[in-house]
Amino acid sequence: MIRSRIILLVEDNPDDVELTLRAFEKSNLVNKIIVTRDGEEALDYLFARGPHSGRDPALMPEVVLLDLKLPKVDGLEVLRRMRADERTRRLPVVVLTSSSEEKDVLGSYDLGANSFVRKPVDFRQFMDAAKHLGLYWLVLNEPPPG
Amino acid sequence: MTDTVLIVDDSLTVRMDLVEAFDAAGFQPLPCATVAEAREAILQGPISVIVLDVLLPDGDGVDLLKELRASPAGASAAILMLSTEAEVKDRVRGLQTGADEYVGKPYDTGYVVAKARELIRARQAVHGAGQPTVLVIDDSVTFREELRRALETAGYTVFLSSSGEDGLRVAADRRPNAVIVDGILPGIDGASVIRRLRLDAALRGVPCVLLTGSEDKGAQLQALDAGADAFVQKGEDVDFILARLAAVLRTTSAAPAEDATSLLGPKKILAVDDSLTYLEELGSALRGEGYDVVPARSGEEALELLAVQPVDCILLDLLMPGLSGQETCRRIKSAPIVRDIPLIMLTAMEDRAAMIDGLSAGADDYISKSGEFEVLKARVRAQIRRKQFEDENRRIREELLRRAREAAEARAAREFAETRAALVEELERKNNELEAFSYSVSHDLRAPLRSIDGFSQALLEDYATLLDQKGKDYLRRVRAAAQRMGELIDDLLQLSRVGRAELNRDRVSLSDLARAVAMELRKMEPDRHVELRIEDGLVAQADSQLIRVALDNLLGNAWKFTAKVAEPRVEFAAEPRDGGTVYFVRDNGAGFDMNYAEKLFRPFQRLHGEAEFPGTGIGLATVQRIVDRHGGRIWAEGTIGCGATFYFTLPPGRTGGRS
Repeated sequence: MIRSRIILLVEDNPDDVELTLRAFEKSNLVNKIIVTRDGEEALDYLFARGPHSGRDPALMPEVVLLDLKLPKVDGLEVLRRMRADERTRRLPVVVLTSSSEEKDVLGSYDLGANSFVRKPVDFRQFMDAAKHLGLYWLVLNEPPPG
Repeated sequence: MTDTVLIVDDSLTVRMDLVEAFDAAGFQPLPCATVAEAREAILQGPISVIVLDVLLPDGDGVDLLKELRASPAGASAAILMLSTEAEVKDRVRGLQTGADEYVGKPYDTGYVVAKARELIRARQAVHGAGQPTVLVIDDSVTFREELRRALETAGYTVFLSSSGEDGLRVAADRRPNAVIVDGILPGIDGASVIRRLRLDAALRGVPCVLLTGSEDKGAQLQALDAGADAFVQKGEDVDFILARLAAVLRTTSAAPAEDATSLLGPKKILAVDDSLTYLEELGSALRGEGYDVVPARSGEEALELLAVQPVDCILLDLLMPGLSGQETCRRIKSAPIVRDIPLIMLTAMEDRAAMIDGLSAGADDYISKSGEFEVLKARVRAQIRRKQFEDENRRIREELLRRAREAAEARAAREFAETRAALVEELERKNNELEAFSYSVSHDLRAPLRSIDGFSQALLEDYATLLDQKGKDYLRRVRAAAQRMGELIDDLLQLSRVGRAELNRDRVSLSDLARAVAMELRKMEPDRHVELRIEDGLVAQADSQLIRVALDNLLGNAWKFTAKVAEPRVEFAAEPRDGGTVYFVRDNGAGFDMNYAEKLFRPFQRLHGEAEFPGTGIGLATVQRIVDRHGGRIWAEGTIGCGATFYFTLPPGRTGGRS
């Protein structure tokens, strides 16, 4: 299987987008990062519809970094719809969020999140996490056959 | 079902007399002359009533009574002692041993039978109601039997009586659910029977069907006027009578007054006089009226008897040796259980002063002694009736009060429930608000901090060459402040969470939790060498997550405040105090001024400068809240420069409750 090397970042906060992109850059991971600003756009991208209807639907991201608080369709709903669809059922999803509220953590895992990372205020911590995630999902982890 | 009566008496005359009386009343009599025979008979089958003599050829009746009460068969039977023993002490002994009734000889057979019925009914009432019962009063044997068969087939239990007088007695003893009475009877007629039933508090609710052969409208009116619920001509089909009966039973929904004693039931009179002759004369006169008379020879005996023997009326001689009538009366009238029993004072003298003395001591009535007992009987009847009406009035009053009280209680309970529901709803709303607030605080307040910190870091890393040392220092300060605010938000959220979280108590090893905390502390600062002592086997019924937070804070503080001492020591242990366990975290660190001990647990209160020991000032407030939630207590002891000890208790409380 050809690996897409694409990371889908679903994040509405431009600062967080900027800092995340910078962190990936710093960690020397050669990946293409697609950014979507809300849940609806994320789903459009994943299912190659609407503004993303032109893309090759067979080329799925390696991992989705999903914020929970999003405009329009929130993160948990995006996760629910992904898990309900055959095409995205097994796609690794890492939930990124500011909160460590129990209901968010449990809700994410219940809906089939693969990992849960709390965005730390100390950006170095976040970079460590991003690095670790990138290494794990893009280097070490064998994506499911499909 | 026929009730079996065991008659245990060595006198053939008594046996024959009672066998005849009980047989006529529809019982199955079983006569025995000795204790041995009685023991044998009891083994044969269920016995409803036992009439027991005290003096028996082969033993003592009271001993047999004791034996009977200890056996399963004898424990359920009604036991009536019948004895020539006039001594008060025998009566007291019998009643204390467990007799339901004690009748002295000479006795009135009518009273004995009526009392036996009453005792059976009382026992049955305890064991719940069975089939509906009907009393049939008719002088024609043929018609009685015909009606009995029809009623029994229809599922009723039937009592039969051949005269109005007997019928009233049976009604009082058996408390039937309905009465069918013939209009024309040899003694008092059917209408009079109904009228008398209506006068009795305990029986006035019993539906009555009057039968008559006449088609005379006047007789019908007269009968209905007397209080009959239905009227059936004797010529009608039996089925018609059954239908009317069923109809009146349906319409009278009122439950019979269970605890009311019937005016027509068997009555017992306590006669107190020092003259044996007078007692005997009085006894035979009253027995002729169907009363049972309990004699007592002195005021002392009377009081002793009243303690064990309930009576319906007391006749008390004013002039007696020993305790005087007046004093006896005064004592009876001051005893709560017996003071309501009608008391008639007797005296030989036509003495106005004596009469006033008696009445002032609380007597209900006063009568001169004479050989003529008619007036006395009438007074006794009147007093018993008065008592009956008073009882009924009191019962009605109590019933009304009870209903009013119940209504008030129900209203109060409803109001309480409503208020409570409103409060719970309000509390839930507030909680949800708080939840939503903390949620948005944790999300929205942290996001800008992340940007501040993240971009400061980016500047430091990517544009380091453009900044001088001062510029870099400023940026580091910006980052430190952002991180500190992040910690503050985290700590505040935790404080708010420990107050709201549900308390899940379980068996928790505090030693294990403390060791886990210690391990993390060591991992975070591997260069520090702190002597950490944790006692083994510390266990509590507590919420492990919350306790973990508490220990994080307490041990973390101890770790932090020992940073500047040469040989830092931190200890977590427990000691017994006041019957409970007190846990403590002790360190030899910076300590604190005891004057500010109270301030320690308030949020944002810090006793050290931020530069000296960093912290948010929320940790101990969180610990206190956790201990509070467990119903425990927390306090601290310390000396500046010599360390601090934080004590807390975790009483094993109700599980899952919110404090």
